[in-house]
Amino acid sequence: MSSHDHVDLPLTPGAAVLAWLWPGAGHISLGQTKRGIFIMAGVLFLFIGGLLIGGLDVVDRKNDRLWFIAQVFCGPIALGADFLNQNVIKTVDDDKRAQEEPERLTTTSLGRVNEIGTLYCALAGLMNLVVILDALQYRPKHPPARRTDDRRTGETA
Amino acid sequence: MMFASLFQSGCVATDSLLAYVPFKTPINALHDWWYLLLIPLAFGIALTYKALRVYDLRAIWSQTLLMTVQIVVAMIGLAVALAIFVLVVIPRLPVQ
Repeated sequence: MSSHDHVDLPLTPGAAVLAWLWPGAGHISLGQTKRGIFIMAGVLFLFIGGLLIGGLDVVDRKNDRLWFIAQVFCGPIALGADFLNQNVIKTVDDDKRAQEEPERLTTTSLGRVNEIGTLYCALAGLMNLVVILDALQYRPKHPPARRTDDRRTGETA
Repeated sequence: MMFASLFQSGCVATDSLLAYVPFKTPINALHDWWYLLLIPLAFGIALTYKALRVYDLRAIWSQTLLMTVQIVVAMIGLAVALAIFVLVVIPRLPVQ
């Protein structure tokens, strides 16, 4: 869409909130069921993949605050992963740290595996931010009328 | 049997994989192969992006595959460019 034929699209904050609560739910609420399922698959693939690679330790609001800001755009699943990390995975009681050290060593994600897992979850959050913004002001996808070169790829302008 | 022979051949760190508990412990066996994880990362990004952009969802898988290849090739290109810069260009720079 060029600048001169700009159309004011109505905001749909409800869809944006749904998109944050569960990836893809915003588009499903707008009637784009299949698109929403693909979005859900993409975002959850990244987020769950990150958790499988690095363990729940990759979502950590205390030690990796900046990464967590990106991850939290995935919604309650990121908050739940952080809750489990803080209360189940991590050693929360300093007095018990010494006796729980062997367990702590196996659950702490380090090095490349931690970096990649953190990156997966952060990119899942950032991609879901794009999804939230798209759901906030949704423009129905139509085949481009004037840009014939995009017809082949099936992409919107 | 196939997996056992794979472990014995040294392709996978057996101890690390046996200790793996999904979501609880990290996959330490992938520590030395971390760069291969960039391929599914590119796939996930491409799938989400194309789900937003493609108007005909029948084309989504081919478009996703294409974008995945584009991202991976771009990352390899950046890595080669950085390697050339660090290993060739910087040593040839005059010192003072």
